[in-house]
Amino acid sequence: MEIVDTYYSKDEYVETASGNKVSRQTVLCGSQNIVLNGKVVVQTGAIIRGDLANVRTGRYCVISKNAVIRPPYKQFSKGIAFFPMHIGDHVFIGESAVVSASSIGSFVYIGKNAIIGRRCALKDCCIIEDGAVLPPETTVASYMRYTAKGTIEGGQGNPNFVPAAMQDQMVDYTKSFYEHFLRNPQAG
Amino acid sequence: MSHAEHNEIKIMAKAIVCEDCSLIGDITISPGCVIHPSATIIAEAGPIVLGENCIVEEYSTIAFRLPTDNKIDPAVEVRTLNIGANNVFEVGSRVEACHIGEKNVFESKCYVGPCVFVSSGCIIGAGVRLVSEQKLPENTVIYGRNCLQREAIDKHGSQTLQIDFLRKVLPNYHHLRKPNYDPKKMRIAT
Repeated sequence: MEIVDTYYSKDEYVETASGNKVSRQTVLCGSQNIVLNGKVVVQTGAIIRGDLANVRTGRYCVISKNAVIRPPYKQFSKGIAFFPMHIGDHVFIGESAVVSASSIGSFVYIGKNAIIGRRCALKDCCIIEDGAVLPPETTVASYMRYTAKGTIEGGQGNPNFVPAAMQDQMVDYTKSFYEHFLRNPQAG
Repeated sequence: MSHAEHNEIKIMAKAIVCEDCSLIGDITISPGCVIHPSATIIAEAGPIVLGENCIVEEYSTIAFRLPTDNKIDPAVEVRTLNIGANNVFEVGSRVEACHIGEKNVFESKCYVGPCVFVSSGCIIGAGVRLVSEQKLPENTVIYGRNCLQREAIDKHGSQTLQIDFLRKVLPNYHHLRKPNYDPKKMRIAT
């Protein structure tokens, strides 16, 4: 699976010392509470709400256009609390997805326009299909596929919903996405 | 931004309105509302009055559009969209309803078309699309891929705790639009 080079202009993206490529047209609220652990791509229009709680992502994550990363909240008898959000390594979050999960494992693929409800837990190597809606507090176990219809497929004896080499494929995919997301050489 | 010259935004005291949201047209924001960044409110067909303690989250759009058949000329007949108190518009919702009562929740990425009459206490689930002309009775819950509809048995919790939290936290991280309208002072002035 080879990804075509996509180019961005120098004015549009900032590259940090740890290799994060972050668009200028993002809304990163409370940036002191956002930790991007290196080689993360954050595309135009994405929103990360660090003002509500801490957000940590691992390495080689891709946060696509207009995705919203919003830490989950829980209501208690006196007051509410927003919980910190952890995202593992090699996670792909598709365009316009709304993510309020409390934890996302590594090698997770979230399709575009997916809605991850409050305090969901996505374990390693799971797939969320395009346009899927996860109700609040859903757990998706590893190697499971949450379909757009709202069912969880996969599991023992039913292995073909997630590729067996999901981990390697996500490593390849996110790495090559990062490596083929290049600054336009003509624009200098 | 052709309406920019008509922009008349009234923000009452104790409302939290982030600076990078787009408000177009004649909009009144009542005390206690929280408007998150990147929210959009468009008052095209007439003024919008947003009731007390509403939450409007990121990428959500509230629009009061001109009817497509153009029967009503906004220059002749001025109508106001009054949105009740305690409504929540979650991330990415698009609401163009002709009437919105109070205590409604519009969940993520739902779409409510211009011919829909939303009463009070309704919950429009995530990803639900309401297009045709209809009137939602009180306490309606619409949910799921097939837009199943039923009546809520008990009332859903209020959002006051969330508003209290947001009112404490958001001023620390965002530039806010200043309140510019005080009904008491206006009464004295006139």
